[in-house]
Amino acid sequence: MNNRKFQIKSLIILVTLLLATGSLLSCNQTSTPDTGAKKITIGVSFETLQTEYWVAGFEAIKAELKKRDATVLEAIADGDANRQLEQVNNFITRKVDGIIAVPKDAKTIIPMIKAANQANIPIVLYNRPADQTEAKSVAVVADNFAITKATVEYMAEQAKKSGKKYKAAILIGDLGDTNAVGRRDGFEAAIKSYSDVIEVVARIPTEWNGEKARAGMTNALQAHPEINFIFTSSDFMFPQIVQALKAADKYHKIGAAGHVLLGGFDGDATAYQMLVDGYLDADGVQDVYFESEAAVQAILDLKAGKSVAPKILDPGFVIHQGNLKEASAKMWGAQVKK
Amino acid sequence: MEEPLQKTKAATWLSDLPSLMRQSQFSQYWVLLLSVVYFLIFASFTPGFAAPENIGNIFANLLPLLVVAIGQTFVLIAGGIDLSVTSIIGLSSVSGALVMSSDGGWLAGKPGAMIVGVMTMLAIGALVGCFNGLAITWLKMPAFIVTLTTMMFFSGLAIWLTKSKTIYNLPSAFNAIGKGSLLVIPNALLVTIALAFVAHILLSRTLHGRWIYAVGHNVKAAQVSGVRVNVTVTLAYVVCGFCAAVAAILYTGRMETGSPVMGQKILLDVIGAAVIGGTSLFGGHGKILWTFFGVLFITLIDNSLNMLGLSYFTIMMVKGGVILLSALLDRLQTK
Repeated sequence: MNNRKFQIKSLIILVTLLLATGSLLSCNQTSTPDTGAKKITIGVSFETLQTEYWVAGFEAIKAELKKRDATVLEAIADGDANRQLEQVNNFITRKVDGIIAVPKDAKTIIPMIKAANQANIPIVLYNRPADQTEAKSVAVVADNFAITKATVEYMAEQAKKSGKKYKAAILIGDLGDTNAVGRRDGFEAAIKSYSDVIEVVARIPTEWNGEKARAGMTNALQAHPEINFIFTSSDFMFPQIVQALKAADKYHKIGAAGHVLLGGFDGDATAYQMLVDGYLDADGVQDVYFESEAAVQAILDLKAGKSVAPKILDPGFVIHQGNLKEASAKMWGAQVKK
Repeated sequence: MEEPLQKTKAATWLSDLPSLMRQSQFSQYWVLLLSVVYFLIFASFTPGFAAPENIGNIFANLLPLLVVAIGQTFVLIAGGIDLSVTSIIGLSSVSGALVMSSDGGWLAGKPGAMIVGVMTMLAIGALVGCFNGLAITWLKMPAFIVTLTTMMFFSGLAIWLTKSKTIYNLPSAFNAIGKGSLLVIPNALLVTIALAFVAHILLSRTLHGRWIYAVGHNVKAAQVSGVRVNVTVTLAYVVCGFCAAVAAILYTGRMETGSPVMGQKILLDVIGAAVIGGTSLFGGHGKILWTFFGVLFITLIDNSLNMLGLSYFTIMMVKGGVILLSALLDRLQTK
């Protein structure tokens, strides 16, 4: 077989493969019954799907959009802000009716908001607001400060009731993320009112990195073996905390001697299981379903020309041993677990 | 009787495949042709894919990736690999931003801040490349280990310098390099064309370029023939680092932000694009034009599947499959 023959054969095989792929993909596209009304298309761009919370949020938004008979274009940037910009530009080229985005951070989202504004496409930021900018967007965010404060206050009340003195540690997120700042401030505000019972001896920076959380927690327990009150700014760090507590022989059920008061934020499946098993005292829950519904509603309202507040707050709630049965129905981690 | 005959034919075809691959040498424009066919087929059922705005998007997305891939092409032809390009992008991005940002930058508000910032970014790229090259040639360390460790070290340094924060408020003249235009021609396109032209001349029309091919083809033969192997390899890594720094300028400008994790996820795209284009992972073979075709093809895949709204996991699997297939073809050609 000579060179030219080989190339022609290869090209025929390739074109056949591409045509087959194309036909399969086009069959895969959502077909819409002709109802006369134009179906809207919403681009959903998530920075990451690395934790359960983001996966739950992503699925909840898609389900909410499906409920409203909207077509969803999805894109995940895998932690790369440049890729997210490219994906948002692709949405704009597709002339989507709206964009829901979880930004990589508060600053890199600004060029994307500007691009959407320029194309006159409404954009809603899910769970992470943008930094101060003239560009217009709506942010749906959890009330990180209030939810954390309520969670830590519940823990502090339990501490007070026990009549013992407590040494506390907090695992802090990436302080470039306003969510992490709100949670840290909520913790500090709650502890301030209980300074006669609780003293904070370790503030562990994690930058939202599980490995850093594990190393920081282990070091803190070595430097302060008396730590008996721990709050984590995100539930995804619980496996690392549990690992460090077990290594220090400090992981015991509520009511047992040596139990470390534990609290967290998010409401994921791990936290739910720890609550059920009796190891976790309280957890601040972001209401994924509220946030998803609010984000979709905001996009539809903006598309309809209605005015929407630039920030929509998810009040969230605290789940603890006292309200576990009733509150778990609203806890997204409990639903994932089921 | 027919079945064994068919089996024999298939076996012969398979056993002849490597030699067919060698004979064919895949026409220079093979990947370009593939890209055109791909574009035409996907344009027929992907809404907005062939729209002028989307073609503009494809080229805007392609330019910084091409710049990094051009540098990688030099190193691959020389028989090496540079895994540290992504950390060079992150480190250059934050170093330039730390110099230029009006929000607490070292030269905030001073005349010439932007020029010093850009020079800093380029110098950092070239210096890291030089370090890689020297460690590989003078210390005789494997390129894989050297560049893997420098990737870790310089990524860590970028995060440490900024405490993992992004840096905003860069001069608008700097941002314009990444997202502005001269009349109707995007500045990023002008930068990329200039760099690609110089790289092409360097590889195809200079003695140093011929040395790079010679070293990649057979390092011992090149040494015996009087090629200064250490200098040639080191310079290939310097060019690679410099190109990564130029890409950092384009990425940082269009994001208006310096970030320590800038470009952290593009390594597979960079090496994959060069290999899809036809640059050999085994050295001695490759061209800037081929790398352009490879980058074009990988950008088309990314853009088209994204426009179709396919899931992230599907896109990753398709891209991974295409790169793996290209590496296999490369292996068959060099067998």
